[in-house]
Amino acid sequence: MKPQFRHWFLAAPKVKHSSKMDPSFKVKQAVNHLWLVLLALLTLSACQQPESSSSLSMGGLLGEPSSQMDDYDSVTSGYQFSFPDDHLSHDNFRQEWWYLTANMQTQSGEKLGIQWTQFRIALAADNAQKNTEHNTDWATSQMYMSHAAITSQNHHQAAEKWSRGHPNLADVSAEPFTVKLDDWQWVSETTGLFPAKLSVATDEFSYQLSLTSDAPMQLQGDEGFSIKSADAAVASYYYSQPFIELSGTITRNGIQESVTGKAWLDREWSSQFLTKAQQGWDWFSIRLDDDSALMVFQLRGADEKTPAFYSARRMFSAGSGRNITSAQSLDDISMTPLSWQQTDNGKYPTSWQLAIASEQIDITISALNPNSNMPLSIPYWEGPISVIGSHSGDGYMELTGY
Amino acid sequence: MSSQSSQANDATDNALSYNNHSRITTLAEVGLSLRVFFAHYRHAPLQAGAILLGIILAVTLLIGVKSTNENAVRSYSEATELLSQRASLLITPNAGERHLDEEVYFRLRQSGISNALAIVNGLVVDPQGRRWQIQGSDLFAAINLQTTQTSSSDNKADSGNSHGNLVNPNIPIAKLLAAENILLMSQSLADKVAPNGEFFLQNPSNEQAPGIKLEVIGLDDDFGLGNAIVADISLAQKLLNQPNQLSYIALFDKPEQLISRINHADLLQQQAGITEQDQGQALQELTRSFHLNLNAMSMLAFVVGLFIAYNGVRYSLMKRQKLLVQLLQLGIQKNHLILSLISELALLVIVGSILGFILGLQLSLWLQPMVAMTLEQLYGARLMPGSWQWQWLTQAMGLTLFAGLLACLPLYRQLTNQPLARISTKVSQVGQLIRIHRIQFTIAVICLIGCALAFPFAKQYQVSLGLMGIVIIAIPLLLPLTIYKISQWLARLFPAGIWHYMIAETKELIGPLSLAMMAMLLALTANISMNTLVGSFEVTLKTWLESRLHADLYMRPSGDKILQIQDFLNDKDKVSGVYTQWTVQSKYQNMPIELVTRDLYSTQVTSSLKSQTNNLWSEFQAGNQILISEPIAIKYNLNIGDTFSIAAFEKSAVNEGQQASAPITIGGIFFDYGNPKGQVVIDQTLWQQVGLPEMPKSIAASYQGDISELEQMLVDSKLISNAQMYNQAKIKQQAITMFKQTFSITMVLNSLTLIVAAIGLFSACLMLTQARQAPLARLYALGITKGQLRLMTFVQMQLIVLLTCLVALPTGAVLGYLLINKVTLQAFGWSIAMLWDWPAYIRVVVIALSTSAIAIAIPLYWQTRKPLIKSLQQEAI
Repeated sequence: MKPQFRHWFLAAPKVKHSSKMDPSFKVKQAVNHLWLVLLALLTLSACQQPESSSSLSMGGLLGEPSSQMDDYDSVTSGYQFSFPDDHLSHDNFRQEWWYLTANMQTQSGEKLGIQWTQFRIALAADNAQKNTEHNTDWATSQMYMSHAAITSQNHHQAAEKWSRGHPNLADVSAEPFTVKLDDWQWVSETTGLFPAKLSVATDEFSYQLSLTSDAPMQLQGDEGFSIKSADAAVASYYYSQPFIELSGTITRNGIQESVTGKAWLDREWSSQFLTKAQQGWDWFSIRLDDDSALMVFQLRGADEKTPAFYSARRMFSAGSGRNITSAQSLDDISMTPLSWQQTDNGKYPTSWQLAIASEQIDITISALNPNSNMPLSIPYWEGPISVIGSHSGDGYMELTGY
Repeated sequence: MSSQSSQANDATDNALSYNNHSRITTLAEVGLSLRVFFAHYRHAPLQAGAILLGIILAVTLLIGVKSTNENAVRSYSEATELLSQRASLLITPNAGERHLDEEVYFRLRQSGISNALAIVNGLVVDPQGRRWQIQGSDLFAAINLQTTQTSSSDNKADSGNSHGNLVNPNIPIAKLLAAENILLMSQSLADKVAPNGEFFLQNPSNEQAPGIKLEVIGLDDDFGLGNAIVADISLAQKLLNQPNQLSYIALFDKPEQLISRINHADLLQQQAGITEQDQGQALQELTRSFHLNLNAMSMLAFVVGLFIAYNGVRYSLMKRQKLLVQLLQLGIQKNHLILSLISELALLVIVGSILGFILGLQLSLWLQPMVAMTLEQLYGARLMPGSWQWQWLTQAMGLTLFAGLLACLPLYRQLTNQPLARISTKVSQVGQLIRIHRIQFTIAVICLIGCALAFPFAKQYQVSLGLMGIVIIAIPLLLPLTIYKISQWLARLFPAGIWHYMIAETKELIGPLSLAMMAMLLALTANISMNTLVGSFEVTLKTWLESRLHADLYMRPSGDKILQIQDFLNDKDKVSGVYTQWTVQSKYQNMPIELVTRDLYSTQVTSSLKSQTNNLWSEFQAGNQILISEPIAIKYNLNIGDTFSIAAFEKSAVNEGQQASAPITIGGIFFDYGNPKGQVVIDQTLWQQVGLPEMPKSIAASYQGDISELEQMLVDSKLISNAQMYNQAKIKQQAITMFKQTFSITMVLNSLTLIVAAIGLFSACLMLTQARQAPLARLYALGITKGQLRLMTFVQMQLIVLLTCLVALPTGAVLGYLLINKVTLQAFGWSIAMLWDWPAYIRVVVIALSTSAIAIAIPLYWQTRKPLIKSLQQEAI
């Protein structure tokens, strides 16, 4: 679950008010957010907002007839995943991402985390009625955004790129499987996800990683149908690869180092997001010391009345796994923030107590670097964690909506 | 008497110094004086009004032009890619090519240069045959870059002003990126060309196919689109029929790093070149003379306005002479009196500046579209929405106060130094004034002689303009004594009695009126000289165009059609000549130039040469000599026989690995008007030698018969559209319209200055005539009829005005001469034959006379409505 999208629809104004930065910067950030929110709103709000008195500009904003939301495909249960096709993009859904997080060590033993994400956002439903006249590669209804970050105990560097969809600029293609935005590229040697090279370069840092995995894909939720609220009104298609071996080099401030470690890939796509009653997300990917992996997320309610929605899956490298959701057993999962960190983007709970009774898991989660906030178009917190308690291990945490 | 008064003064001084609260006394005295002055102005609002009016007019014009100019210069240096931010580096097509392959763009992006914008622009034709410039860019990247900049440019305090609002919900980004038929324009352009939100264009690939219908979205003018028509690159490449091609790529990171990165990875692969942005220097270079022109006009207007204000101050002081003496007699200290006079002036300056500032900003709003049009059409420069700064107000205030104090302090001192016992100082006034006039005259003569000596040595237009400024200041200083002498001479001609009285009084009037006259003179001479310049220019231009346009029809078809058209024309019997022309853009030092070649016959016929070598044409054919346009020659001080080298020549020499046999020299300099770029003409063989593009850019034909016949045949042949053809008449008309625009803004300012001067004259005449009600009443009481009196007053005033005009006309002509032969020649590089514009001379005389006529008539009318006794009681000057 990658909840930062939520900001785009609901929480952006909140971020503006709650952040304690200097006011002029806040205004500029708000301008930035506005742009993103508008883009995201292009379609979503079409079915929600009646044409108001400012219908002239709204007409320009919405662009499409108000039934546009129906033009996107919707997420339903019973979908049969087929690989490698489902590694590619699903342009008839509104949003989609390829999301890699990794915990690694340098030769000197320094612990590091890296993140790479490529988002796809549809500007309009990409249906078959596409005008045949527009036979240029420039014509597109997709936009892409990529985030990259590298985190050590004392430093956290993050960067972002945007592009329109274009086969030569930002695209997901099959032979070999490639996800790219400019020079940030995941290039596989096959039509499958692995073995692959992931390269990211910015002015401050860069990494070139070799990724391999033999484990089967893990379908989250009900065979990949992952619900996001107790009444299953909102859902996404979601699968993961928690067992990836990684080696390669990283460069920080001009100094190159070799690294080895383990990575986790999430793939998710959907068309409709979240109810207005949900405020933010806490997502965890954890590799436990018994060779299992745990994915947990919590969707926090906007007020007292809306209870948080929990979902988790304990996964094993052989391919098996067990789901735990608050829809099935209400009190099975308990999550409690232990300490909070004030960052430039707001205050985040960077340490947690997590217990899942049915799995005999009771662990304390703490961030490698509590200042792993991402100061990008949409601010959120994303960084490596380590766990101790009933199990030990490491992983990644993502916090949004604070 | 005077010793007595100084004793009295001392006594007061002593008394005051004993006072423990001397500071409070100062305030009290100044306050008291100010209250008295205020009461005086309430009694005579005309005086305060005249001072304020002068200041307001001066500041209005100063601020109006200043903000217009500063905005233009700011626009050049901050010019951004449309809807995006300012580029640091451009990747441009190879020399001689119009496009580069979009592969280059992909390579740059894939190498990690993500802050890059692909741009394609070109001309499209609407069904009516009109041509429109379309600019296409990756709008997604453009807007994205724009917002990135907004969030990172914390160091620029005002960036929010100009850029912050680009995230606009009106931009239907989804449709634009999907290549739907949508164009973006500024709201004002959209209202003009697409009031229904619809716009039609010819199908670029097939002229006969039905037109393409496009939806137009108007964006707020603050987006700075100007007259540009913007489309997403997906649509633009289609509309321009340039698939997979770009006009240029804009990059936004640090140039040095980008260049090394690009070269290191060989990202361009010979498909394009790097052009460094010059922070608007080229544009500033091009437009500098234009802005200088505006600045000079605004300073002139400022000076004229200050004359009016100064005149008002002087007049009000004269009227308060008695009052000031009374205040001194009451024991107010001299210094305190001067202090209160200065405070009064400062107060007036502050109020006047603020009002002038507001009006000035309004004026600039009105001027800017005009300037923007000129700049865009003439220089291709886009203006950004206007902004203003508070500093301008303080600058204007400071300047006005400084000039005002400089002018008024001697007056203040003189007035407060007068003997206490004297109530009226009228006796000594005339003599004193004549002395001042003599000094002024001497200064003026010295200045003029100095300028006359310096002018032949002034090589730069800035220097020439400065010298002209001195001449402009000096000429009015000549005026009072000249008029005085002339009226003295006239006095001898008139019979004794009332006419003699009239002339005698006229002489006395010259003093108070002289300043208004000077202001008027300035405006008149400026007006005459500008008229002379513009008129002469137009005539020169027309004659030049006659010789320049030797063919009947000029065509600029798309590149692939040109050879077919040539064949087509050669087949026609009535076509008596076909001429082709090749052009590439280049640069000589800082100046953008066009490198041109045509067939020898055309070159010989069309180049109207200013100077040439003896063996020009043979050397020209041999490729040893070239022709350059007059503006280049003047700007870089080049003469016949000088060597001339530009990048294009050198490159070829290196390419061929040989030393150029002989350096290329200048064989001739030809007249070239109105072309902001320099032009260099070389022979066709040399063109081929240096490896310039072989495809002609344009083609022209002479035709025996009705030219529209040929145009029709060409259109029917489907080789070329109407919009790509220009017949001679059309070119002439367009050229003249364009040239007139260079001067339109100057002419407007010029007229404004004239209006300001007229207002000054009006207020001066009004005040003076009103002040003379007492002597006039006395004359009336002595038995002179009202009619005679009116006639007398009229003749007096008109005589002075007419004398001023007589001085103004020749000096205007002299200034016109200098403007044409010095400033314009040096600034624009155009030599113009001077022409006498007689109607302009008559017009300014009529304006001056009628203004003063009205100004005299009003107080006279008032007088007839007042009882005689009241007029008799009026205080005389």
